[in-house]
Amino acid sequence: MTAKQHPYAILFYLLFLVLGSFVFALLLGSGKLTADNIIALINGTASPLQYTLVFDLRLPRALAAFATGALLSLAGVLMQVLLRNPLADPYVLGVSGGSALAALLAMLSGANTFWLTGSAFLGALLSIFLVFTFAHSKGSWTISRLLLTGIILASGWGALLSFVLVIAPPEKLHGMLFWLMGDLSYDRPLLLSYGILLVGFLVAMLISRQLNILLWGEMQAGTLGVNTKTLRTIIFFLSSLLTAGAITLAGSIGFVGLVIPHLVRLLIGTDHRLLLPASALTGGSLLVVADTLARTLLAPQQLPVGILTALIGVPLFLYLLRRSQ
Amino acid sequence: MSLQTHDLSLAIADKNIVEQLNICFNPGEFWGVMGVNGVGKSTLLQALLGLYQSDKGFITLENKEIKDYKRLELAQLTGMMHQEYDYNFPSTVLEATLIGRHPFIHNWQWENDQDIKLAQQALHKVRLNELSQRLVNTLSGGEKRRLNLATLLTQNPAYYLLDEPVNHLDIKAQLDILSLLKKHFQQGSRHCGIMVIHDPNLAYRYCDHILMMFNHGQYLSGKTADILNQENLSRLYDCTIYQSNQQINNTRHTFFLPTAISEAEKMDI
Repeated sequence: MTAKQHPYAILFYLLFLVLGSFVFALLLGSGKLTADNIIALINGTASPLQYTLVFDLRLPRALAAFATGALLSLAGVLMQVLLRNPLADPYVLGVSGGSALAALLAMLSGANTFWLTGSAFLGALLSIFLVFTFAHSKGSWTISRLLLTGIILASGWGALLSFVLVIAPPEKLHGMLFWLMGDLSYDRPLLLSYGILLVGFLVAMLISRQLNILLWGEMQAGTLGVNTKTLRTIIFFLSSLLTAGAITLAGSIGFVGLVIPHLVRLLIGTDHRLLLPASALTGGSLLVVADTLARTLLAPQQLPVGILTALIGVPLFLYLLRRSQ
Repeated sequence: MSLQTHDLSLAIADKNIVEQLNICFNPGEFWGVMGVNGVGKSTLLQALLGLYQSDKGFITLENKEIKDYKRLELAQLTGMMHQEYDYNFPSTVLEATLIGRHPFIHNWQWENDQDIKLAQQALHKVRLNELSQRLVNTLSGGEKRRLNLATLLTQNPAYYLLDEPVNHLDIKAQLDILSLLKKHFQQGSRHCGIMVIHDPNLAYRYCDHILMMFNHGQYLSGKTADILNQENLSRLYDCTIYQSNQQINNTRHTFFLPTAISEAEKMDI
């Protein structure tokens, strides 16, 4: 038998990944930084310009990227438990559609950033409650009913989104398309997102062992003392709230919530006490790196980060799918 | 201490599956529950766990109504091996067995060495110990059944509800598992087994009590020798089943053999 290592040891290694991704994000960009500059930043002798560059521009953006990735990865893990399907993602129940529609309407009316993010969040919440109300009527709360409700609502949101894009004036179209593809260049409500991330993470950890058991089906979970009805309601609202937080930060960024839980599960297995924190750290780091690439690859032109996560995510996912057969 | 139904009535949609059922399951008893497909055997087991709402009547465990128990408390006293499962995530056999300890571990707490030892012992009993690090989705149908039993053995409640535990198993594995269970529920044990089973030969050999569930909620219950006979079985399955006793290697064996031509065969002719 190998030397006993605490299960959480793996998280310690992942912290280095997080640290590395932040260093990468802070150093890369149009204003070049050298090793000397870093030392100057640390011992306080750097120029004010460099301070502004790193701590006012790059750090908040990297923090936003990290929160988005972590929120989406947690939401993905939870959604996959709720639907008992490893191929579910945070948007599968249409949360992003309602949010995007609200955000686009705010842009159309020329609202400021505060109202834009606020309406994105409210739109996500509205979508969540619609799905819950329709899927939950008469007490039946099956996976297929939930999926069907979500998918139908999502296609409804899609139609309304297209409508808004068609009637939108051309000068606003660019911003709207960026928002839809996932973009971190806005001024974002960092505090709100980290609040949601922290609370969501703690609640998810509290029910983590019950999540392991729910994967075996409602009957088995009930037999082992889990109140499945309450648990599924908690998971539904928790994953939706996390997704809403992510969308408010960065629009809808695809593939992170789908691929990260899958990838981490391949590495460390399905125990949610580990899977949840490991997914959050990995997903956060991945998005920090992806966003850094999004703003540097074609600099000064910025790319929506959603394009990059999809470009990384699609081949990765196809590969995983092939492997799992 | 016993698990007891009091004038229990159960219905699925409008169909009565149990009417005025009065039965008392005691530790040291191994019950076989028999009946045609769809008669409501699994539903009865779920009701005994408090997972299915009764129409009328009630169920008590240790003289306390099961609906007054907290779910976790109930899970320490009763457990069930379900018929089928489909599981699409990478978990090892040992991890899957360890979920049986869930009712005994607090939030935030991890399984300790004692829990792992219990799980390994259970895997040993069902002969899966060598596969403990295998992923569950690579197991065969029979191995999955044995894994489910190992999970239940790890939970080790007073009342084992077993829904066709020997389905998918080869003949020797069936005998192994049923012998293991019979020993677990022998006289003087603090455990009781309530098992759905179709094969009358296995039921006769391993169960000491039988509950026969007929359509429309009628039932027969009692000691195996009193209940499991040619007349009752033929009535239960609505086809002629012949009973035969034979001496093999100085042991008296009882066989049941369906002899009547089934409806399907008649139609072919």
